Amino acid sequence: MDIFVQQLVNSLSVASVTILIGIGITLIFGLAGIVNFAHGEFLMVGGMATWFMVGAGMNFFVALVFAGLLVGALGFAAERCLFRFTLNRPMNGFIMSIGLSVILQHAVIRVFNEFQKSITDPVGLVWTIGGVDIIAMRAIVVAITAVIVAITYFGISRSRYGMALRASVSDRDTAELMGIPVRRYVTGVFIYGSLLAGIGGALMISLFPITPFTGSVIIIRGFAVSLIGGLGNVGGAVVGGLVLGLVDGLSAGYGYPEWTDAYSLVVMILILVLRPQGLLGGTLGPKAS
Amino acid sequence: MRQLGLGLTMAAAGLVMALQTARADEELPIGVIAAQSGSFVSAGNTIVGAANLAAQQINDAGGIKVGDKTYKIKLYIRDNRTDVNVSIAAARELVNDIGVKAIWGTETHDFSVSMAKITGPAKVLQFSGNSSLGAVLDDKAIADDGWLHYTFQSEPQEWQRSGSTAKGVLSLLTPQLKSPPKHSVVFVGNDATGQYLSSHYVKALEAEGQKVDLVQYPPDTTDFSPLLTRIKGMKPDIVHFWYNGDSTLTAFPQALKLGVAPSYFLFGVDPGIYQERSLKADVPVTLSCVPVCWGSSPFPEVKQYFDKYFGLGAAKGPQSSVSLLYYDYFFWYAKALEKVGTIDDPDAVVAELLKSDYKGVVSPVPLVFNKHHQVTFATEVCMVEPNTSDQFKCAVEQPPGAPPPGDNGG
Repeated sequence: MDIFVQQLVNSLSVASVTILIGIGITLIFGLAGIVNFAHGEFLMVGGMATWFMVGAGMNFFVALVFAGLLVGALGFAAERCLFRFTLNRPMNGFIMSIGLSVILQHAVIRVFNEFQKSITDPVGLVWTIGGVDIIAMRAIVVAITAVIVAITYFGISRSRYGMALRASVSDRDTAELMGIPVRRYVTGVFIYGSLLAGIGGALMISLFPITPFTGSVIIIRGFAVSLIGGLGNVGGAVVGGLVLGLVDGLSAGYGYPEWTDAYSLVVMILILVLRPQGLLGGTLGPKAS
Repeated sequence: MRQLGLGLTMAAAGLVMALQTARADEELPIGVIAAQSGSFVSAGNTIVGAANLAAQQINDAGGIKVGDKTYKIKLYIRDNRTDVNVSIAAARELVNDIGVKAIWGTETHDFSVSMAKITGPAKVLQFSGNSSLGAVLDDKAIADDGWLHYTFQSEPQEWQRSGSTAKGVLSLLTPQLKSPPKHSVVFVGNDATGQYLSSHYVKALEAEGQKVDLVQYPPDTTDFSPLLTRIKGMKPDIVHFWYNGDSTLTAFPQALKLGVAPSYFLFGVDPGIYQERSLKADVPVTLSCVPVCWGSSPFPEVKQYFDKYFGLGAAKGPQSSVSLLYYDYFFWYAKALEKVGTIDDPDAVVAELLKSDYKGVVSPVPLVFNKHHQVTFATEVCMVEPNTSDQFKCAVEQPPGAPPPGDNGG
């Protein structure tokens, strides 16, 4: 029983980072209409920046904020210099983002090196409750993710900005005629999604070492989460992340462990076949105009 | 007029001498194919680092004297981008367009085998540090007309490395545990190399009296906690993190936090990295290097080697010691060329390599190739004192004389 409960606890923390990157993708892909395959590299850059700042003596939680801002600025630059020119041709943007991901990987190798980077656990505590080990930093990651989810959810569903954004996704031309600065909103969403990737990278390196290639692995899960939940749907990304986290945790614990990745991707395929709009429904994603 | 004639004669003599000097320093083209980008870059860069150091040392020492000519090594380094197709294309270019006499690389079994299908027919020697080549280097393949006649495996056979590692780990850990360890879990990435290597290591542990469970994880896993929780439920005496040093460095701290086992073994994690990362465990931990450690060098020659290797700018990583699977063979190859007296008779060079030995850095015992073109040398295994990051006790374990029961050696 202890082992089973431990697996459920593990699943929750597995889900957290995935949810964070999933939200970033679901906003950029589902609301801004940009397929950014370099989003995983944005996360990696956030992790590397955190590693660098913590190594220079900065407190982890301060470094986390700086990493978010840095990657947010990177997102701003990428959107203004690259993706804004592909808004009407999403496939061009997609291919461009693949190139950007390779460039970012090798830029990081050039600046630092190819080896994995890690930091000392910022908290370093393990709580044992009823035979179940709860790693304090993982609990903090879950808590930070929950706060970000809440802020994002209310920002999208309740604020004026969120309503205007959803209106521009439904009908861009009408939204523009109503005076909504759609292009500026797209930029804003891209920056916010990138900022979440930066924070996700910082949280990730507090749990696991990262390499310049970490992003290319996690991006698949990020897209899976956003599609399972429903593109552009923050609640959907949370549900998608939890589904994948539970499948990962329980299949690793009780199934064939070497197939762990396959289980979660099979679940994704099944959901997309049975509910193409995702579990909670969402936008249809980017479309060429 | 006589002075003019004398001057012309002297000028002509000078020109002839200059030409002779230029001819004396001829170029020996050698190819290096390694991952300088992509996911195998940390292993690939060690091949390039070893090649650069060896070529520089040989050239600085005057080059290779073959017959009446002196050759300086000219390296042609190609990035395989961790892609088998790029490796094949690079091998074709080096063999067909550049005309290299030998190729060093590459870091993975599949890529090396693919390259051998190009180097073999062209009679270009290939030195590859993949123990998994043992699966294909048989009597037929290495025969005079065999497809691997010109390929040499510069890493010991896997049953040898597994045998010496298992023996070293158990002999270091047993005195540290309350009772002799009986149950081991081998934790390994589920890729072609992981499957091959672990198949031998499981047999080696069984030969040492261990009950062994094998748990495989998908490559690129970062969160190992569900799998480690599963292993904790098996109540092992030792968890052996096998094969991939980078994955091990990710999984091991998670295992410590979850209290998975009373002792651990980390394959391919150098004591230098353990110290650099400030890793610390309250239980005994053993480490092994491929093949000897830079963080705790067993011999003065090895320490000097790593000082020079890192002095050339190579990064200190968990796989830096892999460079020693490539370095010595440049000198051995040069020695064989000098003995044969020509760089254009690869069959004679192969024969010379097979009948000669070479006292390199990697081993205090001279290296020799067996009839299947494979070398043998020992493995270094270290134990970290509990609650320290820098207190190591190391031993160099010799390989067993024969494969364990159930292991056909290939």
